[in-house]
Amino acid sequence: MENSSRFEPKIIAFCCNWCSYAGADLAGGMRLKYSANIIPIRVMCSARVSPHFIIRAFQEGADGVLVAGCHIGDCHYLKGNYIAIKRVAILRELIDFLGISKERLRLEWIAGSEGDKYARVADEFTEKVCSLGPSPIKRIPFREKAVAMVG
Amino acid sequence: MEALKNKVKELLESGGIAGFLGLRNFGSEPFPFLFTRDTAAEIEKITTGAVRYPLSKILIRIAAVYPDATLGIMCRACDERAIIELFKNTKLRSDKVITIGISCTDDLVQACTCEKPHPSNMIAEARPQKTFDRSDVQKIASMTLEQRFDFWTEQLGKCIKCYGCRNICPVCFCDVCTLEDQPLVKRGEIPPELPSFHLTRAYHMAGRCVDCGLCEEACPVDIPLRTLYRRVRESVKELLDYLPGEERDKVPPIQILGDGLFEIRD
Repeated sequence: MENSSRFEPKIIAFCCNWCSYAGADLAGGMRLKYSANIIPIRVMCSARVSPHFIIRAFQEGADGVLVAGCHIGDCHYLKGNYIAIKRVAILRELIDFLGISKERLRLEWIAGSEGDKYARVADEFTEKVCSLGPSPIKRIPFREKAVAMVG
Repeated sequence: MEALKNKVKELLESGGIAGFLGLRNFGSEPFPFLFTRDTAAEIEKITTGAVRYPLSKILIRIAAVYPDATLGIMCRACDERAIIELFKNTKLRSDKVITIGISCTDDLVQACTCEKPHPSNMIAEARPQKTFDRSDVQKIASMTLEQRFDFWTEQLGKCIKCYGCRNICPVCFCDVCTLEDQPLVKRGEIPPELPSFHLTRAYHMAGRCVDCGLCEEACPVDIPLRTLYRRVRESVKELLDYLPGEERDKVPPIQILGDGLFEIRD
């Protein structure tokens, strides 16, 4: 709080209901202190996180997106997290090619017992996104300006 | 051309195929045309042409109306790659499609710079020298993040949302398109939201794009779409070891769950 002009990123975390959301809950239960920039959204499975969700989050001004699911082999729906890995990996390459650092999209496996891991990932990721600065999408001028810019 | 003519005639007369989808000259312009036994006289006007059409996409519509008919199709290498992907996505049946391959003209090969300019089964053996060139991808990949972002913002900002890239794409076959989904893409907004509109389409090209380049040819405002989709194609190859349209027997990796073959790399 010493420097109020510090950049405070907004990070959306998609947490799977069975592991990562429970992990986040445990982090709270354990009274762990972690970054308040993380905004968790509960989904039923990491495979429920359609790439459209991630793209939409960035479009609406998220500086980072965290997708958190059960460890491989632990998926409540057996194989959901396998599809999540592939999606996130491809999307990371893609946003990087478009000029949005791939570091802004992160995938983590957090089990229901890993409250400390949730807190650590939240802190680490916030630190990382802070160092990257605000998302470039927020730099895009409003639509009218974009039209004028293109001519 | 004679070889193609004879082959089509032979197949139609023997009843091997019920129709052949190729190009026919209307005046001096080649257009797609379905040659059948009733229109056999038209075969005289068959042409390979120096232009490309997404014939495989037209074939999907014909095959949907006549599911039991065996159909022939003229295919260039890019058409062949697309048809392989369409087989895998059950849009066409491999036992109901007979491909007759033709190689691209030298001019086309020069302009197209694709990985493989000749299909596997060709009617006339002329293998053009391939001119594979991915300097467009390299050029953008060598920029800094900020430059890349500005480059794409400027390019994608030109978009007039004509959906030409989607409409011409031989592997865009869904009945319901995400790009017309109201909550994701607002109707009547030009240019569409940057970069989510194009990011969505580019993501959908993962494991599908056959690098035919028709999207870029169709684009009225010259957005370098092919470069973008090429990068997607490359990253699918790098990450999941799958090159769409090249591997007949491999299941598209994004469509299978739990193969356990893939670990995250940084």
